[in-house]
Amino acid sequence: MVLCLGVAAAALVEAYRLGSVQFPAGCVTGGYSGPSFDPSAPPTPCNLASQRFSGIAWSFDMSLVRMFEQILPFIVGITFGAVLVAKEIEEGTAPLSWALAGSRRRWLLGKLLAVIVVIVPLLLIAGLAADVRQGAMVQGGSDSHASFDYYADRGVFFVLWGLAALCGTVALGAFTGRTMPALFVALIVCVFARGLWEQAWNQTVLRQFAVRADQGAERGDLSLYQTSELYLDGKLWVGDFDAWWQAHQTCTEVKPDPSIPASAGGMVCQPTTDATMPPMPATYVIHGDRYWQIVALESPVLLGGAIVFSGVALFWVGRRRPY
Amino acid sequence: MGADGGASTATATAALVAHGLSKRFRKKVALDSVDLSVPAGSITALVGPNGAGKTTLIRVCMAFERPNAGRVEVDGVDPWRHRSEALRRVGYVPQTPAVYRGLSVEDHLAMARSLHSGFDADYARRRLDQLGIPLDQRADTLSGGQGAQLGLAIALGTRAKVLLLDEPLANLDPLARREFIQVLLDAVRAEGSTALLSSHIVTDVEDACDRLAILGGGKVRLDCPLEEARRTHRLTDADSPPPGATAVGSFLGKGGQKVMTLWRLAGADTDGADGQSAAPETTSLEDVVLGYLAAGRGTAGLQLN
Repeated sequence: MVLCLGVAAAALVEAYRLGSVQFPAGCVTGGYSGPSFDPSAPPTPCNLASQRFSGIAWSFDMSLVRMFEQILPFIVGITFGAVLVAKEIEEGTAPLSWALAGSRRRWLLGKLLAVIVVIVPLLLIAGLAADVRQGAMVQGGSDSHASFDYYADRGVFFVLWGLAALCGTVALGAFTGRTMPALFVALIVCVFARGLWEQAWNQTVLRQFAVRADQGAERGDLSLYQTSELYLDGKLWVGDFDAWWQAHQTCTEVKPDPSIPASAGGMVCQPTTDATMPPMPATYVIHGDRYWQIVALESPVLLGGAIVFSGVALFWVGRRRPY
Repeated sequence: MGADGGASTATATAALVAHGLSKRFRKKVALDSVDLSVPAGSITALVGPNGAGKTTLIRVCMAFERPNAGRVEVDGVDPWRHRSEALRRVGYVPQTPAVYRGLSVEDHLAMARSLHSGFDADYARRRLDQLGIPLDQRADTLSGGQGAQLGLAIALGTRAKVLLLDEPLANLDPLARREFIQVLLDAVRAEGSTALLSSHIVTDVEDACDRLAILGGGKVRLDCPLEEARRTHRLTDADSPPPGATAVGSFLGKGGQKVMTLWRLAGADTDGADGQSAAPETTSLEDVVLGYLAAGRGTAGLQLN
């Protein structure tokens, strides 16, 4: 509880700090500030504000908050899940409680629901705070519900990943009957599951919703994959890439500079002034405005996973010995 | 031997029945075709050495273990098939007091009430009050005897028809054992419930129980009323058997000087033991139990130097 509220508070503080950076009128770019601000930039009010914003957005405490946001649902789910059944078996209280309860499944369901009632609001608070913080990461603020930036580490997914971790660990605890093994196995599984899930989900289900972005992904887009074909001005381009470059650049010979030791001469090429963007692979993206559509698609799957894990736990508790 | 009247009659009046009950753990046989009938309203002592199968039998009755063969019925309900229904009829006291370390005694009663719909917390509270166990005391700070009393109070609070007590006396000092037995006796007599009390300490159960079941090597060696067990057996040295008696088992007598043999008297299945019912001579329960346990173990280890 303390951890959830602490991370939520920290995220809100960071969001407030970012929001409190005063940009003079006309300075707000609406984009992210890069991790390193050019120190040679002239100290204009715009640059100074941007520098201050960058300093907060890429500070150590911000990265600490981000790290906790990534792991918090798993910490909460695994911690509660590991003790729910396994601790009772380990400490010898399961025979008493199972004898009193009669139905072990009802017993576990009661405990599981009690934990869910406690952790869901806490995770939701932390998830919404992460939403606020992510929205503040853009100069001038942005709608984090119209952006896929770190979307799985915030909002409703915060709760869903926590629930999946909880139910999965309960199932492991019911199977092993030991708290620490369940905890460690769950940690390892969660680390891999999260990475594999994103890859598998993006490349199978979300791929169907992707649209071609010839100019590359914009802020808030979910970038899924790039084509192997090249596109020029929105049209499929087939040709000799080197020849295209030869035709769209002017090269001048540079002589060695005698003042610089071991200076070598060579050709320096510049795009011609009439050159368009070169042919490049197209990026397939899901635009940020489809955020809620993707949330509606992904949430039931994660929730379904949590329900399946609960089902496994209930089944196994019904079968196993209480010691 | 045994209280096996007609199976149907026994089932009708029995609170707990086992028929051909077998349980194996890999190659180890814990219960081997156990037939047992615990009459309703009785307090039956389930006696046997460590590893005899007492705990396994109780765990099967609690649906903690699935039997490999045979069946068991608790108040007419098969616990493996109808677990909830069977467990509603059972109050269970485990061998080691199962307490939640962070909870107080009162919390335990509240937990029991939340888990068991018919749990009578006031009844359990009164029992604990009588024993002077503070309700606000944390359960992990209770003495062994108090912990056992808490377990018993929870079991009694279920107001179950059948009480299964799995060696609850094993870790208690003599005074705590006596108190435990007394509370159990009072409750069972007042409620008319049935209790199966497992123990490997014969003297503990001698005064409390009205029935004896001896379990050895996974088999029921004897199952009969306590008085019958005393009346129908004699202990002599091996060379002087009572007339017509059958040897049960031999073991070292008190002092370790002499091998004694337990005999089952002729006509023991009928009334009047050996037929000479006037001024019946009895054998101590401990000797009866030792004789049957020795029978299960064979004569190895009985050679005198």
